[in-house]
Amino acid sequence: MSAANSDALKDLLYRLADDQLILGHRNSEWNGLGPILEEDIAFSSMAQDKLGHSLQLYLLLQGLGEAEPDTVAFTRNAPQFHCAQLVELPIGEYDFSLIRHFLFDTAELLRFELLSQSSYEPLAQVARKLKGELKYHVLHANTWIKQLGSSTEEAIDRLQGSLNFAMPYALGLFEKTGYEEALIAEGIFVGEDELKAGWIEKITVILAQTSLELPDLTTLTPVYGGRAGQHTEHLQPLLDEMAEVFRVDPTAEW
Amino acid sequence: MYGSASTDHLPTNAPTGLENEDPILLAEFEARIARGEKIEPNDWMPALYRKQLIRMIEQHAHSEIIGSLPEGTWITRAPGFRRKMAQMAKVQDEVGHAQLLYSAAETLGKTREQMLSDLINGKSKYSNVFNYPAYTWADSNVISWLIDAGAIVNQMANAKGSYGPYCRALDRICAEEAFHLKYGHDAVVHLATGTPTQRRMIQEALNRWWAPIMTFFGPSDKMSVHTEILMRWKVKMASNDHCRQQFLDMYVPKIWEVGLTLPDPNLRKNEETGQWEFTEPDWEDFKRVINGDGPCNAERLAVRRAAEENGAWVRRALLSPKAQYVRPLA
Amino acid sequence: MNSLDPRITRLGLPDAPPPPPDKLALDQFETYEAFHQKKEGTAYAYVGPVHAPSADVAFLFAKEQYSRRFACTGMWVVPTTSVHLSPYADDNASVYDELPAAEQTGNASTAEQQEEALYTAGDEDYDIFHLKKRGKAHVHVGRVRATSPAAALQVAKAVFGDQRPVVNVWVVRSADVLRSDDEDRDIWLTTPEKKYRDAMAYRVQDKIERFKQEQKNAPQV
Repeated sequence: MSAANSDALKDLLYRLADDQLILGHRNSEWNGLGPILEEDIAFSSMAQDKLGHSLQLYLLLQGLGEAEPDTVAFTRNAPQFHCAQLVELPIGEYDFSLIRHFLFDTAELLRFELLSQSSYEPLAQVARKLKGELKYHVLHANTWIKQLGSSTEEAIDRLQGSLNFAMPYALGLFEKTGYEEALIAEGIFVGEDELKAGWIEKITVILAQTSLELPDLTTLTPVYGGRAGQHTEHLQPLLDEMAEVFRVDPTAEW
Repeated sequence: MYGSASTDHLPTNAPTGLENEDPILLAEFEARIARGEKIEPNDWMPALYRKQLIRMIEQHAHSEIIGSLPEGTWITRAPGFRRKMAQMAKVQDEVGHAQLLYSAAETLGKTREQMLSDLINGKSKYSNVFNYPAYTWADSNVISWLIDAGAIVNQMANAKGSYGPYCRALDRICAEEAFHLKYGHDAVVHLATGTPTQRRMIQEALNRWWAPIMTFFGPSDKMSVHTEILMRWKVKMASNDHCRQQFLDMYVPKIWEVGLTLPDPNLRKNEETGQWEFTEPDWEDFKRVINGDGPCNAERLAVRRAAEENGAWVRRALLSPKAQYVRPLA
Repeated sequence: MNSLDPRITRLGLPDAPPPPPDKLALDQFETYEAFHQKKEGTAYAYVGPVHAPSADVAFLFAKEQYSRRFACTGMWVVPTTSVHLSPYADDNASVYDELPAAEQTGNASTAEQQEEALYTAGDEDYDIFHLKKRGKAHVHVGRVRATSPAAALQVAKAVFGDQRPVVNVWVVRSADVLRSDDEDRDIWLTTPEKKYRDAMAYRVQDKIERFKQEQKNAPQV
């Protein structure tokens, strides 16, 4: 692989891995505090899966010469993170966490389906392997959105409010970087536009089965910047908290 | 995880009510237990058996759900991928165990709604050990290892008890806790054999937790009519002292072997009697904490209340007017 | 409320919250019973209940509560209200012996014909589960066709009555069972790989031995 392609690939892997790490971390905040015991358990499993996915991707990066996963995850600062701003927002109330889960995981399942055809075989393999887990995440998200989204006025209002708030951030998931063309040309990834088109289709189908309304996407300004290391004020405190113990002695084994 | 403490028994002076039970049914019930058969939810059972089991399983369940909070303190700060994922899985398991145990108690006729109400209103107790704080990551590791170890001693004994649904729940819980024990031991050993800072962290945490750990199994049992009946019915499976001795026997050597010390100058195994000797725990302090005046009682209940309240809209939204409650079957 | 747990601090709780009202009935939803399949080709076995607002959600819940820690290849959920129970027998006995004998149907002469006749007489499928020993779990033994749960129990006696011991029988209308989709088998594929929650993955003894060795070799002060 050429040096240019390797940079493009790393850029992609960092985006994928950072999204999963940060959202997995955020969702773990619900553990023990969920709305019903069974849901608490299910939501924690998915948070663990996200951590696991990010680890797999950081391991691919390590194979490409980057530092080992713990160092990458626990010692970088916010400007070095490539996650979309959607994933770093605080967990809010459960309606926001569910909407974020729905918007993010729908995109993630599609992304991994597309990546399972990647010309970079190690990534294609990881994508194929993790697809079953993402399938459950989307089944979980769809079931909840469909049920709550056609229930009480209170629940519908909450979800609609969160959907309106989250949507510009969700569009930020599809922010392109300078490597977009190279990734498409090399067959590593089909590109953010195709992913986004598929995503809009999927979420539209689910939302149509509820009383929720998809905001008019043409009037929304996507929140970009995350892929380039520009983040909300929430990311650095999250990273400081995540690394509090690790940084007591980063050379120690924990 | 769970401690029997002293609260899982009815007051010793409470009437047994056995004189009001049908003698033939009672004899059949006792004969079944004596044959080593389990009691299933639809079987006839004496009121005292039902009442005591509900009380015990419910407190066990509360201990799991509240017990997820001290380790939850460090869930966002666990160092490194391996610990981070394992800490999440462990806290998740505690919630899962609560679910299993509430379900087992429900088969005896108390709804989960009523049990959770009694918990958050302070009417029902949970293991006292969770009223202490996890100041550092090392405290969380001590809990993962030694509190779970204590819990396993209890649960392995109770899994041989007579009530089918409780045994099924405990079999699953014990299988899952094998991971907790290893994970906790591994984390503690890493700190104990690590850098001087890590070593100091774990020794300090152990010093903080030793007194609560020594009260984990509760004071010596007072033998009473109740205790005798409950042992015959295989509800109470081992004495508090027996569990404490077994725990010390299994874990003190493992603590010492990695160079850690325990803050009790009198702790030693008497080779003649085969029994561990130790400074008697401060049972007055134990009573004070269990009755609400511990460092974390207020927070633990407030957090549980908040979780219930914050999730109420979700439950309101999904409750069908046609819904009809039926006890779980087994 | 200021907590050692940053998550709790962020909840912004009052220091002295008022006591909450008692929960309403069914605040925790209805109950469903879950059955898992440990390995391809093996019988489904009872794992326990979940509380859920619908069968779909019960499935989502049962999957994580009962299959996250150990191998699993399939899951069924049933509303508790849909399960019909036989009486419980003693260990080593068969509860079928306590049931009145099944009526003979038609003039079937061989056992096979009789079984066949019983199977086609009714108009609905029922799944049958047996408990072999008190304290253990109910296991799926097969399906019968009948017009009602009570009739299904009679048919089950004819079809499965020679098995023993049978302490208790559960009868469930097959249409009431929500079954995991064959196409979705991959949702369980990675469970065995999640070593971080597997006791066997923690090899602490090596570390302890190394530590002891180092202590032995360290110069005595």
